[in-house]
Amino acid sequence: MWMYEKRLQFPVKITKTCPKTAQLIISQYGGPDGELSASMRYLAQRYTMPDKAVGGLLTDIGTEELAHMEMICAMVYQLTRHLSVEEAKAAGFDAYYIDHTCGLWPQAAGGVPFTAKEFQSKGDAITDLMENLAAEQKARTVYDNLLRMITDPEVREPLKFLRTREIVHFQRFGEALEKTKEKLDSRNFYYFNPEFDKNFLNGNTAFRKESF
Amino acid sequence: MTQEHLAMAWVPVQQWGLLYREEEALGIGTIFQDLNKPFFAAEDGLQGAASAFGDQEISAPVKNQQTGGQFPGENSAPREREALLRKIQQVSFVLDDLRLYLDTHPEDKEGLSLFKAAGERRKALMKEYARQFYPLTADCMVETCWDDPGAACFCWQKGPAPWEGGCV
Repeated sequence: MWMYEKRLQFPVKITKTCPKTAQLIISQYGGPDGELSASMRYLAQRYTMPDKAVGGLLTDIGTEELAHMEMICAMVYQLTRHLSVEEAKAAGFDAYYIDHTCGLWPQAAGGVPFTAKEFQSKGDAITDLMENLAAEQKARTVYDNLLRMITDPEVREPLKFLRTREIVHFQRFGEALEKTKEKLDSRNFYYFNPEFDKNFLNGNTAFRKESF
Repeated sequence: MTQEHLAMAWVPVQQWGLLYREEEALGIGTIFQDLNKPFFAAEDGLQGAASAFGDQEISAPVKNQQTGGQFPGENSAPREREALLRKIQQVSFVLDDLRLYLDTHPEDKEGLSLFKAAGERRKALMKEYARQFYPLTADCMVETCWDDPGAACFCWQKGPAPWEGGCV
């Protein structure tokens, strides 16, 4: 269950219309490393996580990513809310405008629509946590790239905040990986899949010892 | 702590360390000083951001040289509602960051004690905001009606939408 709280996690107040910036930032809404795919990735993976605390972490980070998605959408909205057709044309925002006017629609900066192919849920705790570590790094790189290109301080402040969150989440997923490894035998982390071969996890140590 | 092993990644588990103050953590993006890793191309902009917004801070947070901690829209006279909302955002962010820390450090006494203190402050501020302005959650709305049955109304749509820039 989710409850809505009527505020942004970090304030977004952009006063200058800039469809070009909107077109770049929208990638963090519907792009391959965007906040929508981050949220769906973590919220999808948690059901089968063998460590309850890791499932809880996925819920909490997945929830925070929803708040980040709301920030990104607020930024795109504020960058385009007073848009004129001439500005859209001049900035190359015309193709988006034709299909969506100034409505929010998840797509990558290059126009590729959001799809579930953007994220993985593999049903193996080690694999999924590695995916998440990489996902946080990819999102950080996108924020780095955005910060290189965008000069408006009103846009940069929320982007810097979001970039730092990627690094914090990376650290937490690293700790989740450590927690998951504690449940496995360090001589061979890959002997079984902790999400599928549950009998290996539930105290069946005699069997495990024999196996190595 | 798990040791390094061949064919396996390893991230050290964070130890409790120095924290940013509640007023500055939100602007930085974490409460943990150890996790603040700025990007060089973001630092130049920071100087610009700080000068562009001036120094009319509500609570005049100390500017961290690495990160600044300025918000957009600061050059207009701060209003009471925005000041209270800012406090809610700041204390809520402490809880957001702590929640993730406690997910992987559930026994951490310092973390737990800060979580409890910040949680209580947030609860009081949310109630105060609903009473003075409008409810931020459906629970706040119910609580307001409970405290003042005469003023009971469905006020969920009161106040600006968050994406309109009203929550700065």
